[in-house]
Amino acid sequence: MPQLDASSRGSFLLKPSEWALVLAIVAAVALTAVIDANHSYAFRPLESLRDIARNTALLGIFALGATVVIIAGGIDLSAGSMIALSGTVCATTMLALSPQAMLGFKPVGPAVVAVAMAASLLAGFLVGTLHTWLITAIRLPPFIATLATLVGLRSLARALCESSTAALTPTKSALINVADPVFKTIRDNVWIPVAVFGVLAFITWLILTRTVLGRHLHALGGNEQAARLAGIRTDNVKWFAYCFGAMTAALAGLFYVANESVAAPVNQGRGHELNAIAAAVVGGCSLTGGVGTVPGTVLGTIFLRVVIDAVSKIIKTGADVYEGLIVGIVVVIAVTFSQLGQMGRQGRRLLPGPLGLCAIPTLALLCGGIVAMTTGPRTGLAAGLAALVLLALVRAWENRAARAA
Amino acid sequence: MIRADGAGQTGADTPAAVTMRGITKRFPGVVALEHVTLEVERGELHAICGENGAGKSTLMKILSGVYQPDEGTLEIDGLPTRFANTRAAERAGIAIIHQELALVEDLPVAANVFLGRERRGRLGLVDDAGMAAECRALLESLECQVTPQTRTGSLRVGDQQLVEIAKALSLDARIVVMDEPTSALTEAESARLERTIARLRSRGTTILYISHKMDEVFRLADRITVLRDGRHVRTVRRADTTPQEVTGWMVGRDIAGHAFHEPRRRGPKLLEIRNLSLPWPEHPRGYRLQDVSLDLHAGEILGVAGLMGAGRTELLETIFGAVEPTWTGTILVAGKPVRFAHPREACAARIAMVTEDRKRLGLFPDLDVAGNVSLCSLAEALQGGLVSRAREEALVAGPLRDTGVKTPGPHASIMGLSGGNQQKCIIGRWLLTKPEILLLDDPTRGIDVGAKAELYTLIDRLCRAGLGVILTSSELPELLTLADRIVVLAEGRLTAEFARGDATEAKIMAAAMG
Repeated sequence: MPQLDASSRGSFLLKPSEWALVLAIVAAVALTAVIDANHSYAFRPLESLRDIARNTALLGIFALGATVVIIAGGIDLSAGSMIALSGTVCATTMLALSPQAMLGFKPVGPAVVAVAMAASLLAGFLVGTLHTWLITAIRLPPFIATLATLVGLRSLARALCESSTAALTPTKSALINVADPVFKTIRDNVWIPVAVFGVLAFITWLILTRTVLGRHLHALGGNEQAARLAGIRTDNVKWFAYCFGAMTAALAGLFYVANESVAAPVNQGRGHELNAIAAAVVGGCSLTGGVGTVPGTVLGTIFLRVVIDAVSKIIKTGADVYEGLIVGIVVVIAVTFSQLGQMGRQGRRLLPGPLGLCAIPTLALLCGGIVAMTTGPRTGLAAGLAALVLLALVRAWENRAARAA
Repeated sequence: MIRADGAGQTGADTPAAVTMRGITKRFPGVVALEHVTLEVERGELHAICGENGAGKSTLMKILSGVYQPDEGTLEIDGLPTRFANTRAAERAGIAIIHQELALVEDLPVAANVFLGRERRGRLGLVDDAGMAAECRALLESLECQVTPQTRTGSLRVGDQQLVEIAKALSLDARIVVMDEPTSALTEAESARLERTIARLRSRGTTILYISHKMDEVFRLADRITVLRDGRHVRTVRRADTTPQEVTGWMVGRDIAGHAFHEPRRRGPKLLEIRNLSLPWPEHPRGYRLQDVSLDLHAGEILGVAGLMGAGRTELLETIFGAVEPTWTGTILVAGKPVRFAHPREACAARIAMVTEDRKRLGLFPDLDVAGNVSLCSLAEALQGGLVSRAREEALVAGPLRDTGVKTPGPHASIMGLSGGNQQKCIIGRWLLTKPEILLLDDPTRGIDVGAKAELYTLIDRLCRAGLGVILTSSELPELLTLADRIVVLAEGRLTAEFARGDATEAKIMAAAMG
C-alpha cells in the first residue's frame, strides 16, 4: 500500500496538498467570476463549464498516462506526437477502407470507424512497445528514447498523411478531413470525453492502488534495482507503463480529431506532452518516481485548465498565446509550494549570493513584462517596480536572518 | 546557538584542538547523538570507537561541517565555531576522509585532489600541469604509485583512499578525520596507511581515527573515546585500558552471550555448486569468481568470509540469478541443474536473498511497512483480483510478529524504522515466499548491537526450522558465532573451508589474504 495513500485513508479522501489544489481551483474560479469584465461565468455558466470540461478531459486522458509513466520512474516526452500519429492513423485507415465516403464528406459507417479507432490504439501499443524496447534492451535513458519519438513520430505521422493522401485522393495533403457523424457526435457531446476521462481515471486509480501491477509500478519507480532483486519483472512493468502512456495519448488523439474534424499531423497536440507532465507534477507526482496519485493528477489537470481559462477570460486575447507561460508559472509555483517547508527547515535561502542578486531584476522584469503586455505599460511598470521592491525586501530580510544565525 | 561561556576549559596553556560540547543531532525518527562531549588535544591521535550506529560518523560529520548540530557547541583551538558547510571546515584546517569515498570517479586523480580549489594559471585558465606536479609530489610522499592523470574510478579502493588523504594534505589540514579507513584495505595497504599516519603525526597533525578494530586502535591511539547508541561512554588513555574493556563499553554487555552451542541438525543437500566461474571482462583479473565449489544442506548456516571485493556478493547474486548468466560451471538446486536469468526464477525455486545495502537494494521508501513486506507475495492478498487491505494486513502480520519488527503499525513509513527493524521487514518479506534456501548478504551491516543479537537469534531459529542459510559478513565474529561451516573467498577464489570448531579469526584472515 503506498504510504501516501495510507495517510489519506483517514477521514479525508485526499492528501493535504490535494485539498490545497481543490481550494486553489475554487479560488481561481471565484476570482475569474469577479474580475472578468464580461462576467461569462455568471451569464453563460454552461458554456464556460463545457469549455473547461472538454479541455480538462482531453488533457486529463493522457495526463493519466503520464502519471503512470512518471510513477514507474520514467518519462514520456512523445505524447503530443503520439496524438498526431493516432489521429493520422485513424483518418488514414478510414480513408483506405472507405475513400469515396471520406472524399465526399459522407458517413463511413460505424464498423469502419471502429476499425480505425482500434488501429489508433494499436499504434499506441506499438509505440509503447518501441519505447520499452529502446529503454530496456538498448538501454537508452527514457528521456532520450522518447525525445527521439517526440520528433520522429510527428514526422512519421506527416509522412503517412501525405503518402496516403497522394495514393488515395487526387491531391497530396498534410491533413485529412474527418466528417463522419460518429466524430461529430463526440464533438457535440462534451459528456463523452468527460465520461471517458472519468472511467479511465477510475481504472487508473484502481490499477495503481488496488492491483499487484500498481504496487509493482510504485516499487519500480521507488527503487528499480531493489524491485528487480525482489523478483519483479521490471521490464514487463515498464512495458505496461509506456504502453499505457502511449495508448492514452492515442485515445486523446481520437478526441482531438473529433474536436477539430480533421487529422492534422503538423500541429495537432504539438507541445501538449509537457502540459500532461505539468498536470501530473502539479498534482504531486515526483519526477524521481514512486510517488503520485490519480486524484492529484485529475485535480492538477483541472487546475491547469481553470487557470488557462481564467487568463483567457480576463485578458481576452487568444488563450493559446499565454498558455505556455501559464503552465510554466503554475508548475513553478506548485512545486515551490511543496518545497517551501523543506527550504525553511534546512535554512536554505530563496535569493542567495550573486545569483539571488541577478534573480531579483530577472523576476521583476518578467513580472512587469507580463503585466505590461496584458494590461498596459503603466500598470506593467508599477508591477515590475513593486516586484523589485518586494524581492529586495525578501533578500534584505534573508541577509539579516543569516547574520543573526 | 553559540555559547562562549568558556566553562570547562582544560586549564592547560594551549587550548584543545577540538572541543565539542553537548552535541545533539536528531534525524527523523532517531536521535543520532545525545549530549556528546569530546575533547581532542593538539597533535594526538584520538580513536573514536563504537559499534555501527553508535554515532561516530555523525559526530565526525558535524566536526567537518557536513551536518549542523541541533544543540551543542564546537570550539576549534578554543574559539567557538560553527561550520555552515564542509568548505568552512576546510578553511579552518579540518579535512575528513569519509568511509564512503567522496571522489568523482570520472575525473583524473589530480582534478579530484584540487576539486573546488582548482589552481589557476595566467589568463585565469586551469593550471593542470601545476596541479599534476603538486599532486604527484603529494602521492609520492604517500608511497602511492598512481599518476595524477589516471581516471580515479579505475583505482583500487586503497589508492582512492590515498587520493583522499592527498586531498587533505593539499588543504594543509591541521586536523584530519579518518572514518574507518582500513575497512576495505588489504594488509599491505593498511601498513602503508599506518606509515602515512606516522608521517602526518610527525608534522603535528591532529588525527581523529574512527574504527572498531581493536588491534589498530591499540597500536595507534593516544586516547580512546567510546560512543554507544549516540552517547558518550568514556574517554581514556590507551595505556590505562585493554581491548576487552573497550569492547565491553562499546557493546554495553558481554558479547559472548550470542554463542549458539546446541548443534543444529543437518538435513538433505539443497544446493551444490561445482566449478563456478563468473567472468569480469573489463577488469585485469578477468573474473569475479573462479572455480568455486561448495554445498549447502538444509538446517545449516554456511558462512562466506572475504575482504571487500573478494566476490561474496557476486557469489550470492549468481546463485540468485541477479547477474547476467554469463557464468560457467554447475549449480544444482535440489539435485537439478539451474541457470536463473532473473531473480523471479530463483524465487520460484524457493531461494530468497536479502541484499547488502538495505537502502540501495532492499527498501522501497515510498511504500509503507506492509507494502515492503508483502511485495513478493502480494498475489496472496488478492480478493476478486484486487488487493485487499485487510488481507494484506493479515498476510504481513505473521512475518512482522515472527521477526519481531517494532513498528507503530503496518501502515507506518518504512523509513521511520530503525535499521534493524527495516532489515527484519526485508527478511519478513522473503519468509513470506516460503524459501528453502536463504541468502543473507551482510545482513547486520549498519545495525545496532541490540538488533544484531535479535537478528542472530532469528537466523538461528530459521535455520533450525530447516532452512539452508548462506551468510556473508564483513565481521568475522559474526560468522564465527553463527555459521556451522565457513568458506573463505580471496579475489574470487575459494581459498579455505573450516568447520565451526577449527575456525579462528587468524586462520580466516590468512586465507582471505590469499
